[in-house]
Amino acid sequence: MAAITLIEAVNMAMAHEMEHDKEVVVFGEDVGINGGVFRATDGLQQKFGEERVIDTPLAEAMIAGLAIGMAAQGMKPVAEIQFMGFIFPAADHIISHCARMRNRTRGRLTLPMVIRAPFGGGIHAPENHSESTEAIFAHIPGLKVVIPSNPSRAYGLMLAAIRDPDPVIFLEPKRVYRIEKHEIEDNGEEYPIGMCFVDREGTDITLISWGAMMHETKQAAEKLAAEGISAEVIDVATVSPLDIDTILESVEKTGRACIIQEAPKAGAVGSEIAAEIAEKRVTSLLAPIGRVSGYDTVVPYYRLEKQYMPKVEHIVEEAKRLMEYR
Amino acid sequence: MKTFNLPDLGEGLPDAEIVRWLVKEGDLVALDQPMVEMETAKAVVEVPSPYKGTITKLCGNEGDVIEVGAVLVEFDGDGSSSNSTESASTPSVAETPAAAETKSTEAPQPTTTTAVATDVFNLPDLGEGLPDAEIVRWLVAEGDTLALDQPMVEMETAKAVVEVPSPFAATVAKLHGQAGDVIEVGAALVTFGSAGSVAAETKQPEPAVSSDSDDMPADAATVVGAVEVGNKVVIESASAVIKALARKLKVDLSQVVGTGSNGAVTQSDIKQAKADGKLIGSKPQPAVVATSSNVSSDENPLDFKASPAVRAHARRLGVALSQCSANGRKGTITKADVDAAASSPASSVASAPAARSSTAGGGLPTVQVSVEPQTVRGVRRAMAMGMAKAHATVVPTTLMEDADITSWPKQDSLARYVRALVFASKIEPALNAWFDGEKFERLVHPNVHVGIAVDSPDGLYVPVIHNADSKDANQVRARVQELREKIENKGLKQDDQQGGTITLSNFGSIAGRYGTPVVSPPQVAILGTGRFRNELKLTAKGIENRKMLPLSLTFDHRACTGGEAARFLAAVIEDLQKPL
Repeated sequence: MAAITLIEAVNMAMAHEMEHDKEVVVFGEDVGINGGVFRATDGLQQKFGEERVIDTPLAEAMIAGLAIGMAAQGMKPVAEIQFMGFIFPAADHIISHCARMRNRTRGRLTLPMVIRAPFGGGIHAPENHSESTEAIFAHIPGLKVVIPSNPSRAYGLMLAAIRDPDPVIFLEPKRVYRIEKHEIEDNGEEYPIGMCFVDREGTDITLISWGAMMHETKQAAEKLAAEGISAEVIDVATVSPLDIDTILESVEKTGRACIIQEAPKAGAVGSEIAAEIAEKRVTSLLAPIGRVSGYDTVVPYYRLEKQYMPKVEHIVEEAKRLMEYR
Repeated sequence: MKTFNLPDLGEGLPDAEIVRWLVKEGDLVALDQPMVEMETAKAVVEVPSPYKGTITKLCGNEGDVIEVGAVLVEFDGDGSSSNSTESASTPSVAETPAAAETKSTEAPQPTTTTAVATDVFNLPDLGEGLPDAEIVRWLVAEGDTLALDQPMVEMETAKAVVEVPSPFAATVAKLHGQAGDVIEVGAALVTFGSAGSVAAETKQPEPAVSSDSDDMPADAATVVGAVEVGNKVVIESASAVIKALARKLKVDLSQVVGTGSNGAVTQSDIKQAKADGKLIGSKPQPAVVATSSNVSSDENPLDFKASPAVRAHARRLGVALSQCSANGRKGTITKADVDAAASSPASSVASAPAARSSTAGGGLPTVQVSVEPQTVRGVRRAMAMGMAKAHATVVPTTLMEDADITSWPKQDSLARYVRALVFASKIEPALNAWFDGEKFERLVHPNVHVGIAVDSPDGLYVPVIHNADSKDANQVRARVQELREKIENKGLKQDDQQGGTITLSNFGSIAGRYGTPVVSPPQVAILGTGRFRNELKLTAKGIENRKMLPLSLTFDHRACTGGEAARFLAAVIEDLQKPL
């Protein structure tokens, strides 16, 4: 069993499904000969041929439209948008057609398709490559938005995404593509979509995060533990539909909630989680709901990028503020 | 003299602008010390010094645009200046070890780590899927002995300049190409071998050698920027996944027997349990609940359901939530429950034996607080008694309405309020009266004595402007000023506070739009003036910005009818809406 990175796990999951399901096809910009700019599709074209691993023109709207057409005809396309910042030409297809097809046809047509895109900042990329815009798609009914935080989850959730009868937007936190490895058996065992993962149990405060920020969040939980604060850590993993029950259960237990996200604060997934907690568990709260997030601005060029990214200390600070709240 | 020419800063752009110099002429700079911040169309980049030496000239001022390849900095040196860009931007052998420490994460990861006597290193795919890359500058020279991962050369692709590290700890025998040469992916870049054996050869680029991609080292393929690479193997939290799946399938985990190693529950166990119907609720749960146990502990605030506002209210009153009954929805403690517990602490003791409050001698209960209750004296006590009396006897009713004061010139509003009360008292005298609810007597005053509610740290004072109906605005102002000074100097006399027939509370000078001011018997009315505000009003002229003054008139309904009060308020408004 090899220890592999998150990006290699994405590759392994796609290869597994291509091996076992001939309807699965992969396409996108540079995914074939090149193997993907981050190597997500490395070796797939050599293994499965040009018919199933297709290099597309630089035209995101076409990529999404192609996926919808294929999926409507029973194929299982896995389309790559090279960076999430480039997904917007495809947004009309995704929002106006992909998300609505099941409803439009009263269930006659479903779209078993996946749109993959690396997202998030922290890698010194140029403009437009660093945003965390998951909330845009989380807001659209009919789309599932899945964000793995580690290699095992990338493998398990990617399998589930491909097998899902409905469209899944699969957002890969590129900052942590290679930050750690997991030993993963290529056994085709999927992870449940639509569920949170409780990564650490605690009694004093619930830290809720997803994607790359899970790494900072877990470190913050360690630091808090050293100071005698027992933090429960939840990896949301599927930001839409939200598994709010798991979060509420935890908040009921701890009485405090702090949401950690890389995205700007306003109108974000964190806002929705905070609203749900306020709506449904206000009587369990011992402190206001805390949020640690990016700023409501464009992600800056790389020299200031570090200032933009939420850090472990920010999470610790906010958690302590909530603990001391009277 | 050595010169340093502006290298391509990684954007493929023709020039860059000097943002600011980080060094001065005459400075001694170290190798790799940042010299200048340059701005390209995409980023601000720090340009490090390729040499250790003294700067003799900075070629350009802040704001100047420098073309790629133009001279940026001149150094004093050995005098053996080379006129080529290649040599100018190549650090000397002795200086390269420092560069090895600044290992770039952008670089491909070499797979071979053993030293090899003689080997050719071919240009790997630098992560763009592009067919070739251009040599920007060599960081090593032929004959150098390199450490593993030591940067050898900066290569430029269409998107970035990437440092290529040495795949070996070995000696450079030959560099294939010069700055500016385009090398095809897979073609020879560096030959390693014994030092100096081929160093004297000409530096003409080799013909590109095509090679199978299979021979190429695996690469990290970073297309833009730098993805952090870690080799730490982390264990997935299997239980988190199992629990999530169980929740999704509504399987009762306590009924699942694990078949994995060490009896661990696997995903198939969960799916089997689902098939077997071992669902949540399918088995009677033992009456053990983690957080809401029957053993009430007033130490754990989570044993009680209450909104943050109710908790704060309870804290302010010093009431323990364990003392409160929970009459809210789904067993939550409401504000009323807290108030009830606060006002009748004795009754709640029965339900909460561990109650910490002392009820001895009435007064406020002493609960675990670090601040002791203070006896209320003087003005504050008078306020408490007066208010209690008012609350016990008066039947208060409050009317609220806005006056449009847009037409007011800048003036002391207090005098206007007093004038309005006087005016209204003439129109509707029933509110400028005293009332005795026991004898059922009413005294309608011919004169208007306006009490003014004044907030002070000592408590509430209500000094009176006597005969306000015979005072003009200046006299009213003078009296108010006099009263203010008296309060400040604690010189307010009994006379100053007696005989009021109606009261004004100008709480809007602090905050508050409408209120329910308390009538002070035997008076029968009090007018509260709130904070004025600008408001868009639909008028005959269209939408206009009007300045609105909120008014709250409380009257004792035992003494006045609603009609009297409404007429009084209308008269107040009529007077207030006069421009002067």
